[in-house]
Amino acid sequence: MDTNIAKLRKGLGITQEKLAETCGVTRQTIIALEQGRYNPSLQLAYRVSKALKADRIEDVFRTIDG
Amino acid sequence: MIGRPEWFKRRKYAGWGLMPATWQGWAYVATMVAVIFGVQALAFLDDEVRIGLMFAIALVFSADIVHMMMRQHVDERERIHEAVAERNALWVMLVVLGVGVAEQAAASAIRGSIRVDPVILAALVGALIAKAATNLYLDRKD
Repeated sequence: MDTNIAKLRKGLGITQEKLAETCGVTRQTIIALEQGRYNPSLQLAYRVSKALKADRIEDVFRTIDG
Repeated sequence: MIGRPEWFKRRKYAGWGLMPATWQGWAYVATMVAVIFGVQALAFLDDEVRIGLMFAIALVFSADIVHMMMRQHVDERERIHEAVAERNALWVMLVVLGVGVAEQAAASAIRGSIRVDPVILAALVGALIAKAATNLYLDRKD
């Protein structure tokens, strides 16, 4: 899973801790998401996208194969 | 209940249960130890009363700890990690128990009658039932 989380988060000036708190997960989970090491549930992907003010989940998450 | 889940974190690398994550968690543990030793130190209590009191205290703290464990906030990634770790621990237990049953059965068979520790058998049958019940519940749930 490839993500734009770090880019969007920095653009909004949000820390990993703040994003984690908003999404109800740990900072370690945000780090894993940013590094593409963890595939989130649809619910978490939606929460992260909403927290990053993205219009679509696809603007935040992309599968490696497109 | 007495304690709060946010005072503790899930024990990941040294067994099961909770470990203190804040000073309140350490204060809770210190209080628990102080109460237990305090009751032990009450010289005027009869042994029966002391044992009853210790049982009641153990029951209260056990219930409180289980309550806190059930209310621990665990996100989905941590939940997956926990499930995989518990599964691996279970497999190790199953292998050890299976070897134990086989060894007991073989040793007793040599003496003429097959005998296996009923506690080990109960643990294996209990695990079997728990797995079936969990799968049944999860299949119906989603």
